[in-house]
Amino acid sequence: MGSARSAGNENPRLDAPSVWLYAGLVLIGLINIYSATSDPNQGFHFSFNSLAGRQMMWIGGAVLLILTIAFANVAVFDYFAYGFYALIILLNIAVIFLGREVAGARSWFGFGGVGIQPSEFAKAATALALARFLGTYGIRFKGTRNVFICLGLFLLPMGIILGQNDTGSALVFLAFFLVLYREGLPGGLLLTALWMAILGIARIVMTSRGVPHFWTYGILAVLGAVIIWFGRKNRQLVITVSLITISSIVFSLLVGFAYTKILKSYQRDRIELTLGLIKDEQGKGYHLHQSRIAIGAGQLVGRGFLKGTQTKMGEKSFVPEGHTDYIFCTISEEWGFAGVVVFFLIYFGLLFRLVSLAERQSTTFGRVLGYSVACILFFHIAINIGMTIGMVPTIGIPLPFVSFGGSSLWAFTLLLFTFLKVDEKRR
Amino acid sequence: MDLHSNRRIVYFLVFTVVALVYLGKIFSLQVLDKTYEQKAINNALNKITIYPARSIIYDRNGKLLVYNIAIYDLLVFPGEVKELDTSEFCRVLGITREDFLHRMQQAALNAKKRQKNNAYNKSAVFYANLSTRQYTAMQENLFRFGGFYIEPKTDRLYAVKGGAHVLGYLGEANDRALKGDPYYRPGDLVGITGIENTYEEFIRGMKGIRTVWQDRTYREHGEVKDDEFNKPAVAGPDMYSSLDFDLQEFGEQLLNGKRGSIVAIEPGTGEILALVNKPDYDPNLLVGEARNNAYRALVTDPRKPLFNRAIKGTYPPGSTFKTVTALIARQEGVLKPGTMHGCYGGYHLGSLTVGCHPHGSPLDLKGAITISCNAYFCQVFRDVIDNPKYGNVKTGFSQLEKHLRSFGLGSTLGVDLPGESSGNVPSIKQLDRRHGKSWKSSTVISLSIGQGEILLTPMQMANVAAIIANRGWFYTPHLVRGIGPRRSLPEKYTTRRYTSVDSSLFKVIIDGMEGVPKPGGTAWGTDVPDIAICAKTGTAQNPHGQDHSLYIAFAPRYNPKIAIAVVVENGGYGATWAAPIANLMIEHYLRRNEPSKNPGMLERMLKGAVL
Ligand SMILES: [Zn+2]
Repeated sequence: MGSARSAGNENPRLDAPSVWLYAGLVLIGLINIYSATSDPNQGFHFSFNSLAGRQMMWIGGAVLLILTIAFANVAVFDYFAYGFYALIILLNIAVIFLGREVAGARSWFGFGGVGIQPSEFAKAATALALARFLGTYGIRFKGTRNVFICLGLFLLPMGIILGQNDTGSALVFLAFFLVLYREGLPGGLLLTALWMAILGIARIVMTSRGVPHFWTYGILAVLGAVIIWFGRKNRQLVITVSLITISSIVFSLLVGFAYTKILKSYQRDRIELTLGLIKDEQGKGYHLHQSRIAIGAGQLVGRGFLKGTQTKMGEKSFVPEGHTDYIFCTISEEWGFAGVVVFFLIYFGLLFRLVSLAERQSTTFGRVLGYSVACILFFHIAINIGMTIGMVPTIGIPLPFVSFGGSSLWAFTLLLFTFLKVDEKRR
Repeated sequence: MDLHSNRRIVYFLVFTVVALVYLGKIFSLQVLDKTYEQKAINNALNKITIYPARSIIYDRNGKLLVYNIAIYDLLVFPGEVKELDTSEFCRVLGITREDFLHRMQQAALNAKKRQKNNAYNKSAVFYANLSTRQYTAMQENLFRFGGFYIEPKTDRLYAVKGGAHVLGYLGEANDRALKGDPYYRPGDLVGITGIENTYEEFIRGMKGIRTVWQDRTYREHGEVKDDEFNKPAVAGPDMYSSLDFDLQEFGEQLLNGKRGSIVAIEPGTGEILALVNKPDYDPNLLVGEARNNAYRALVTDPRKPLFNRAIKGTYPPGSTFKTVTALIARQEGVLKPGTMHGCYGGYHLGSLTVGCHPHGSPLDLKGAITISCNAYFCQVFRDVIDNPKYGNVKTGFSQLEKHLRSFGLGSTLGVDLPGESSGNVPSIKQLDRRHGKSWKSSTVISLSIGQGEILLTPMQMANVAAIIANRGWFYTPHLVRGIGPRRSLPEKYTTRRYTSVDSSLFKVIIDGMEGVPKPGGTAWGTDVPDIAICAKTGTAQNPHGQDHSLYIAFAPRYNPKIAIAVVVENGGYGATWAAPIANLMIEHYLRRNEPSKNPGMLERMLKGAVL
């Protein structure tokens, strides 16, 4: 940042630690996809028709994508950001009408045997558009118009993806709130979100336990009254606390209503399972229970490569999707806690690196893009792993770079390497 | 410009907190909780039991007696039966809906029990021993009934129609067997009686395990190729029975139409050559689907065909016991070969009279045995227990009791069959109870001629014959000659047991016994030309009806090959039925493949009926 050289970075190279960590994750993914889809009755056996073979081709594609990005002019990202965003938005709308229905969601375009999921690319497009907007000279995350444009930029694709009935992918867009925090979103807002989460969970617990509504409101009112009583000299405080109390009560009411009237019963079950309100290992909690069995079976050092037992029978496995959404189960069972620790070091190491890289950007564009990459990855990891161990309700989203799938791999590669390219050319 | 750069700390913090919380949770799942490992194995692997073949059983000459056929069990994972078309399932298996529900409930219970025993998988037998029709129908339809699978095991087939009480039969393991031995699973077939039961631990072999992958719907996905998960079944070792089945069948023919037992022992080894009971049953009745019904019919049959009287039936040994009385008196030094006693139609002492049949008098020991004089042995008996050396009758009697017990009387011999009776040698206490405390030798005088409180099993009688043949020792009689390729035997069947009577004292008694089947002996007319049969007849008084016909014998006199006891219930005198049957058995055994030299007697025995 101190450098005044206009020729850019002295030694133009993609950030080596990030690239290595990325390569590590992709390799871990490939190994575990191979294992999860291997026939337990056969030894090592490789075919390009297998899922691992296809993933290898996706990886080949990702390498081409990386090379393209590496040799592209960095200005292109900035220049085409809006156009790319518009294109992706249109594709996401189109998929609702033209797409294939997979597991109740309409989020896939099918071309012959391969499919592509435009919502995966919406994350990268949104990140670029948001970075472009906030990077525009003179624009900051301030003022009603700018704030609304920023929120709109990611709430729009989020809404469309909800329209595809793909709740998981849509939820990931909440990551942009985290991005905006760095750009000045008031911390109070995130605290509010935290408070709302606490209120919401409390309300859900009470609802499912059959505690009458007035308890929530009563407790909130008493709490507010007590604070107001002690702070009665401070006019400002009285007003603030009153407002918080009233809005909290209203929010609780809304949560109660939404929870019982809007959420579908399977969604309620997932939430209640996560909160530990119901325990039904044979019925509603079956998948969570099986997922935990697979992870727990890994013990300290794991069963070893190809020796996992819970993910290998395809769709009728005890843990199905052991190569996609539940690949963490495969990793855990075969490599144990030791493997999980290494895996976390790589993953969270990449996140830390990305935040550091984002901070060394001289442009808002670069910084917003960097934080977007870090926050999106973080959301994916937190939700995906959290789901397999039962700390987050079951939400079907892939583990970035690791899960089987071309769309997801290419979209995350695009996202990461666009930023790494921007970082390479930072001034 | 950049107002919020210190907010990066918040990101590092959030990432770190989430990573640590997750790692903590994963640590608790993987490292702290040890149960998931087993749960995972229970999920994905099905350890299918491989049932070993039970031992093939041969007779002493290598004749095949018992072998195996494959039968099948239907097993179920009770928790995993989903979307089952119950009525279709019931139709295929041929059971009612109530039966289905009952079996399902039972299986769920058993599966839970197995899990508690740490048994590997959570399945349980739903239907044991499928019929051929059920097996075929089920095999074809199994793919429709997720959660069910079939396991092969073995049932028995018999190559022979006889020997049922020796061979025994199988039955489903009962609660006691299941509780007593974790090896068994409900529905397993175990030896219920006979050598199937005694040698169950050898005969059953060792179950093996075949581990297969299974998916969530509990369908098989091929075998796990890891040796750790597979164990071949080990078949039960070949069993060589001591029976001479040719002799056994001959004995069964001779005893047809009568009620009683024949026990033949090879004196030099204690090996049982034949163990015949009548009434008996065909062992082929108690196999396969018909087992339960046939068993019920046999149990309720008033003729008691399941009753193994050779080891469970007890009889007063009658005059056969005089041999033992004489041997003990010899050992006690109160009887010499030349000791003479007179007989005046019996033994008279005050108001007591023990009758005797007419014969010349007086007699020496040899003559008394041959002629079976009651008076002679009453006197000998009194000489033993009233021996002044012991001061009083009870001390004398306890000396007698000690000798009797050394003959294997009054306690089980240790034959390799379950349920052996000990017979009875009265103790002083028992006599006190019966006759009051002040009994005298005259009170218990009938013991001298094998009447009164003394009871022997046919097995014990045959063993007495073997003891005399061996002149003082015996091996515990047993039905198995050897197990497995090394023909090994439990040590108790290879250890000689000595009686308390010196071997030099047997000669005179044997001399007397040799005369029994000969002219002038009590079994005159039943002898076999050119075979020196040493024998003793007996007639056991039976308060419920006609006396029992008894006979013990061994032959040839020198280097004896066979010792035998025959009991024919309600057969009257020993010479009437028991003696000819025993002597024909001896002839048959010693002159294999030769026609009997007593065709008339053979004909009479084969045709004769006592029932
Ligand atoms: Zn007499």
